[in-house]
Amino acid sequence: MNRLTQSMVLVLLGGAVLRITTVSTTYLNYVKPGFRPFLIAAGVVVVALGVIGLVQEWRGSTEPGDHDDHDDHDDHDGHDHAHAPRVAWLLTLPVFAIFLVAPPALGAFSARSEEAPARPVAAAESYDTLSAGQVNEMTIGEFVGRAWGEADSLAGRQVRLTGFSVPSAKKKDRWYLARIQIACCAADGVALKVAVLDAEMPPENTWVEVVGTWKRPPSGELEPGTVAPELNVTSITPIPQPVEPYE
Amino acid sequence: MSERVEVGTSQEVPPSEWGRRQPLGSFSPWVFVLVLGLLLLGRLVFTPYLTAPALQAWATIFVAICVQALPFLAFGVLLSAAITAFVPASFWTRALPRRPFLAVPVAGAAGAVLPGCECASVPVASGLMSRGVTPAAALAFLLASPAINPVVVVATVVAFPGEPMMAVARFGASLAVAVVAGWVWLRFGRADWLRIPSRPVGDGPRWRSFVEAMRHDFLHAGGFLVVGGATAATMNVVVPRSWLESVAGIPVVSVLTLALLAVILSICSEADAFVAASMTAFSPTAKLAFLVVGPMVDLKLIALQTGTFGRRFAARFIPLTFVLAVVVSMAAGEVLL
Repeated sequence: MNRLTQSMVLVLLGGAVLRITTVSTTYLNYVKPGFRPFLIAAGVVVVALGVIGLVQEWRGSTEPGDHDDHDDHDDHDGHDHAHAPRVAWLLTLPVFAIFLVAPPALGAFSARSEEAPARPVAAAESYDTLSAGQVNEMTIGEFVGRAWGEADSLAGRQVRLTGFSVPSAKKKDRWYLARIQIACCAADGVALKVAVLDAEMPPENTWVEVVGTWKRPPSGELEPGTVAPELNVTSITPIPQPVEPYE
Repeated sequence: MSERVEVGTSQEVPPSEWGRRQPLGSFSPWVFVLVLGLLLLGRLVFTPYLTAPALQAWATIFVAICVQALPFLAFGVLLSAAITAFVPASFWTRALPRRPFLAVPVAGAAGAVLPGCECASVPVASGLMSRGVTPAAALAFLLASPAINPVVVVATVVAFPGEPMMAVARFGASLAVAVVAGWVWLRFGRADWLRIPSRPVGDGPRWRSFVEAMRHDFLHAGGFLVVGGATAATMNVVVPRSWLESVAGIPVVSVLTLALLAVILSICSEADAFVAASMTAFSPTAKLAFLVVGPMVDLKLIALQTGTFGRRFAARFIPLTFVLAVVVSMAAGEVLL
């Protein structure tokens, strides 16, 4: 790989990162919103490295120590210090993935492959009291956290949850409202699930808003991390996928 | 390949090494144009077919790992290049104790200063080595830094509310593993196992060698990062999590399982505490092993270390680190948790 190509690969990669962070919100499919400034900074740095290289190449101002001659030596263990080895070509792979597959946010496929319900990350020690008269909007993480920790706070309260539909892998007529919770990037995502009762399942992986009340399990309290809490549903509204697909 | 054959037949004088280079040099921009063409064409032709859920989940995780690591890698490369270009070698001989035996723990503890994840620490460690820091000390820094820096410690405290000992145990165990691994390398390691990247320094203005070092490191480490990301994404999609539950109750097996899972998942050290906390079925010791092993050995790091320091180094150092990390976390778990 010579300098010209290296520079072009850098511009391509940096450009792809800038594209998903500045002109669109695609990056939210991969990382937490807080990453945006760092991603933009990194994208700018990478593009700048590439552009500097291109300018140098354009001017032909290759320094005396320009080691183009050694380009081919890095196949084996021998390591070339002034040049990127062929492995740098792999940097185009994420660009291919971004443009060709256009990976969507993790959805039903990932939630289904984990049958055992996950514990929400950092469930708060205590939650606010819910109002009795109106519908309480909350994240699935909070709902699961309450159901496993402070179940009484949910009794008789109407809640509105947002998520996508996932069929149960084991029981035929059971389905879940699920949402992936990430701490940093999609690789650490865990699927949070609430079993939906008294309602037909919409097509798999449909985003819906669900209003309902928590159903007390026959055994009283649930052991955290064992069974998904259940919700008696009064209404289901299909919605477009939220801009921020993860909790 | 065909390129070389062609050149071979067309040469008249026995060529020097340099003669052979020219065609390949002008060859790779065309490959790049081909890549670009494929991208444009592929977007029109293939994209409608690339919709299998498993492929999409794989691609999402793969892109997520690469995208998430990019700022850390860029930061690490920047720091490493700054170390080579702007910090004189004499600084390190003054900053670190003269005797390597003492330099190892000092360098390990210094890891607490660099707020990054493991992707940043590999280029920084290689930059340190190329500036004359004892390899064992740089390695202690490499292992300690992603696990004991303030960002990671705070994340661990937040992820385990009401269990402050988890963060303490993680800090202590990680530092211990890093220092012991450094000492073992100092005592038994051989210089020819480790490929220390030497940097061309001196000629030309400083900013120029800075940009050169950054560019080289980024392309190099970035390529290997992609290898690690692709492997980790594959494991993430292919390995079912359900079998984890079945071993959660068995003492030693559960620790080993989570240690292996940390290697496979390659989660950024700043996020792994949250994942560990979500695995409620496992014992605290097993979770500790997950947190200690993850920042020191994972697929991403194996690829990065192999690429940076060479295969012979990786084949020895990575198993050493893994065994040490598991043993130390078991001991720490026994005492502290």
